Amino acid sequence: MFKSFNVTARVFERQVVTPRPSAAVNLFRQFYENLVPSCTIYDVDCPDNFFRKFTDDGKYLICFSRNQQDLIVYRPAWLSFSCKGEDCDSHGLPQKAKRFDSFFVQLYSVSLATSSELICKEFFLYLESQGFGLFATSTAQTNDVSAIEGAINGVPSIERITFHLLRLEDGVILDEKVFYNDFVNLVHSMGVFLYEDLLCIMSLRYQAIHILQIRESGNLVNIRMIGPFCHEDDELFLNSHVQVAEGKTFLSGVKQRLLSYIFRKHWSEEADQIVRIQYLKRKFYFHFQDYIDLIMWKVSRSTDQHTSFFAVYNMETTEIITFYQNSTEELYDLFEQLKHLYSGILNCILFVFLNVDIPFVKKMATSLPYTCQSQSPSPYFDLSLFRYDEKLISATDRLRHSTEHPIKFISRRQPHILKFKIKPDYNMSSP
Amino acid sequence: MSSKSLSFSGNSGCGGDGSGVRPWPSSTSVSASGKRIQKEMMEFNADPPSDCSAGPKGNLYHWISTIIGPPGSPYEGGIFFQDIIFPCDYPFKPPKVVFKTRIYHCNVGSDGNVSLDILSRSWSPALTITNVLLAVKSMFTSPDPYNSPVPNIARLYLTDKAKHDQIAAEFTRRFAR
Repeated sequence: MFKSFNVTARVFERQVVTPRPSAAVNLFRQFYENLVPSCTIYDVDCPDNFFRKFTDDGKYLICFSRNQQDLIVYRPAWLSFSCKGEDCDSHGLPQKAKRFDSFFVQLYSVSLATSSELICKEFFLYLESQGFGLFATSTAQTNDVSAIEGAINGVPSIERITFHLLRLEDGVILDEKVFYNDFVNLVHSMGVFLYEDLLCIMSLRYQAIHILQIRESGNLVNIRMIGPFCHEDDELFLNSHVQVAEGKTFLSGVKQRLLSYIFRKHWSEEADQIVRIQYLKRKFYFHFQDYIDLIMWKVSRSTDQHTSFFAVYNMETTEIITFYQNSTEELYDLFEQLKHLYSGILNCILFVFLNVDIPFVKKMATSLPYTCQSQSPSPYFDLSLFRYDEKLISATDRLRHSTEHPIKFISRRQPHILKFKIKPDYNMSSP
Repeated sequence: MSSKSLSFSGNSGCGGDGSGVRPWPSSTSVSASGKRIQKEMMEFNADPPSDCSAGPKGNLYHWISTIIGPPGSPYEGGIFFQDIIFPCDYPFKPPKVVFKTRIYHCNVGSDGNVSLDILSRSWSPALTITNVLLAVKSMFTSPDPYNSPVPNIARLYLTDKAKHDQIAAEFTRRFAR
């Protein structure tokens, strides 16, 4: 079909053309090739806040105070002005364009952190359907921690981590969930995963996944915990039937499921008992300790990492469905199948295991990319529409050093013209 | 995963938890216990008992064994892992068998330690890994309530076997699959 850049033609096209199923978004986004930023305003008088991000629906601008104690939320108001006369282009912008409050209206400022806590600047999740925001505050992290029963060695500890659920409309704190002497990787929301209304929080220190539901009423409800045990009442059942010994003699619930899955797989690969024993010796027993040393690192639905192990786990049947080692593509295919098999994959979660020593964990904590809600939905970052230097700017939610040079956005389609520039530095920009 | 080589040297890793420091490998002397375990391993590999398997966990003195819960027993459907730790003076002292998988059984203590007659009083240097595994395997179908570290399980087994089996099956479903 003939595609025109002409705005009128496109508006008309939007009226008459029915996009292919589930391709509507792409068609609408193409319209942004015609609507590009045309002006950069410098020296805007801004409040001294830490600007976190816009919510994906554009309704709120999330900011934190410099002392990391308060949450400040703005509603974008968008400046508009009109111009009288013939030659409007030569008019400069009105004086009010230099003022922050011409663009944003402060809705409220709420104190989230107590004196010993700080808001984790890199953590924010937005539940768009309910208009809820999830924030985290924590006390300082201690790296030299004494061994505690049930906790894995070498993982740092945080005395108190609090997750706050807020209604963004008016800043009312609806609920909170506190973790004591635990470690949740809050950087880039790595240790927390939100899927629809289900929230998974990965406790690295205790190797447990806490699954909570965010109710419409604004309550955080514990659904279950996976890790030491698989069913919600396993611990109760155990305590009511046997004396529980101290110490870490037994495999955790998830490890037992994982090892028995791997064992069964190898066992069924060979029918002859003598060949099988040799095979298990090489493939299973020899690596037994390595499997035991694997730690659950994060929960996810996507498969964008390397050098890790993945397990797909069904929460209802408490079964490991599959286990992969460094085989992202295969796993991706499996997920596609699962999506079709089940109406949703709510019951299935993906564990990412790492085969690591602790110094490596610390390194990985800063280098592992892409987590829940880390990608900006802006059409200008859509690489099928615009080409730009991904070293300077990208859709990934990450702090970047500003660059001196203008960042060019070039149209992907013929004739590959420069559509617009972002000029971070006033002095370097040329007209 | 990184490849490692099995340690066949001296008294490496015996008795303890198997993760200790390995001594300087010696190419000339292999201790008597090491030689014996190696020989037993070859015999075991040549004629393994059905529904169980075992192998060294990177160290000749520290094995892992797996027993598949026997059909018809309350342990059916479970996969049970055990640590088998050989002492330095093996075969004059018996190996120690510890369950890594939770099990409701009158011969397995709350710390996972197996108490069986042949692993204590009735141990003989003539017994081998194969004998040990067969004894652990037969424990699943015929527990020995008179040699039990967990008296309440033994009592229930003797007085109300149906109830005992029901709890054991629930344990298997929850902790051993």
